[in-house]
Amino acid sequence: MGWEETQVRGYSEFVRTAQSYHGRPIFALFCGDKDAEGRSWCPDCVTAEPVVRKELHNLPDESVFIYCLVGDRAYWKDPNNEFRKNLKLTGVPTLLKYGTPQKLVEEECFKAELVRMLFTED
Amino acid sequence: QAHKEEDNPQKTMEANGLTPVPDSYDYDLIVIGGGSGGLAAAKEAAKYEKKVMVLDFVTPTPQGSSWGLGGTCVNVGCIPKKLMHQAALLGQALQDSRKFGWQFTEEVKHNWMTMTESVQNYIGSLNWGYRVALRDTKVTYENAYGEFVGPNTIKATNKKGIEKLYTAERFIIATGERPRYLGIPGDKEYCISSDDLFSLPYCPGKTLVVGASYVALECAGFLAGLGLDVTVMVRSILLRGFDQDMANKIGEYMQEHGVSFIREFVPIKVEQVEEGTPGILKVTAKSTTGDQVIEGQYNTVLLAIGRDPCTRKIGLDKVGVNINEKTGKIPVNDEEQTNVPHIYAVGDILQGKLELTPVAIQAGRLLVQRLYAGTTTKCDYVNVPTTVFTPLEYGACGYSEETAVEKFGEENIEVYHSHFWPLEWTVPSRDNNKCYAKIICNIQDNERVIGFHVLGPNAGEVTQGFAAAIKCGLTKEQLDSTIGIHPVCAEV
Repeated sequence: MGWEETQVRGYSEFVRTAQSYHGRPIFALFCGDKDAEGRSWCPDCVTAEPVVRKELHNLPDESVFIYCLVGDRAYWKDPNNEFRKNLKLTGVPTLLKYGTPQKLVEEECFKAELVRMLFTED
Repeated sequence: QAHKEEDNPQKTMEANGLTPVPDSYDYDLIVIGGGSGGLAAAKEAAKYEKKVMVLDFVTPTPQGSSWGLGGTCVNVGCIPKKLMHQAALLGQALQDSRKFGWQFTEEVKHNWMTMTESVQNYIGSLNWGYRVALRDTKVTYENAYGEFVGPNTIKATNKKGIEKLYTAERFIIATGERPRYLGIPGDKEYCISSDDLFSLPYCPGKTLVVGASYVALECAGFLAGLGLDVTVMVRSILLRGFDQDMANKIGEYMQEHGVSFIREFVPIKVEQVEEGTPGILKVTAKSTTGDQVIEGQYNTVLLAIGRDPCTRKIGLDKVGVNINEKTGKIPVNDEEQTNVPHIYAVGDILQGKLELTPVAIQAGRLLVQRLYAGTTTKCDYVNVPTTVFTPLEYGACGYSEETAVEKFGEENIEVYHSHFWPLEWTVPSRDNNKCYAKIICNIQDNERVIGFHVLGPNAGEVTQGFAAAIKCGLTKEQLDSTIGIHPVCAEV
């Protein structure tokens, strides 16, 4: 079977979902919330999302892509939010391979080459 | 086997022993080895828009350990070593803290797995960081074993055994070293080396460290600091090549702080008494001065008796690069060039140069700048500062006392020295006569400081600044007229 995508919102939902896929390679893209028109408050996330989506076909078989909305701008700016505290995220967008130190942060997510490397190499 | 198939007249010429026309190579530069020297050189070359490839491959240890991009320093050297040294120092700090008023009733214990996982996680982020950096600067990286098959051709074999050929105008060999084994029964089957220690998936327990190198003493030091029962087996002297006065002080300190030493013995046999993680090993050792034979049982035996360059199986004979047959080291001129003009070398494999990460990085960068940016600056290997991170740290720059005496004559040097008691050690009643500093001055040259040695906490931090001063030609008078910062160790 190829790869599959699931969308979550907020920290608890993210953790529950990641745990439910334990055993499979999990990649996650963290972005700022989107408004009613579907635009995120985070301009870099707006730039990164299409780049990442274009590379999704490179995901290894059996892997899971979790698209996670972290919250509104105020929540994100709080230095004690759960994503910062527990997942050690430092910025949005962050694209990472769950359970490994492999991640791309902010402008790194704009680079198709790097996204592809994250998805395809050990 | 998949070969790079191309109708390439240059390759055909090469295969027939003829020199191909330049500007038709796959790469401007191929770097063999993705460690401190190799990566610094590759990244620098990319800045000048050169087409660069880095080949990095780790042959697993006899115990099966392996690691990612970054070389020895990042994976099985400086980085994990300093972090584990810090873990041990924190243990000591916890003890001291009670005297400063901190109250805790729980007994403090150390968890090897927690520490190792954190350290390995950090190393993983460094491996990844290098991969991002290389990809971002358009340096091609392959996790493959590189060897020369022709004057301008490298064969790269990946872990699945797939071979590819690449050509380049120039090459930098930066393959580094690996720990040496004793060559006795049981050494590869049962002993570990520093290549295994920092990712060991179980606490090593009661450990015998064989060797008297800084690797041996640093590892023995932090293992003891973490609460383990540690013995060091030394064939002759401690820290060969370092100032022996300082080396002995380091040994004494370790001995007084829980490390046992067995001096003038070498292991002749290692046997397994019990399997396990760790198991129980029996070591038989023979005296170097007589017929005495002793036995001991340990959970882990760590060999730290030296490191050998990875230069014997990379096809250097095929391209005529000379190596020192005895040591495996590569002699280079002061521009890091081997006897083959388009092949260079940097790092630990160089003959007669210091085996230090910053030296490899500096040499690699300057070499590339000379090749592609038209500079002429050569690497300055003189007065390179170093630090040994034993429990009592030792920082040094310049001559040891013995070497200074040998070179300048005893009557022409003056040694100024002092013990000191760090303020932070007073309250917890730690040793008041162990920390020590000395400078060696050349009387005939204005009492110029030619050697700096300090034994005490944060020795590395203390030494760095003095290294810059020595590079500027620091004299005793200038040192005397520099007012100290108080209260710090460095003011001594």
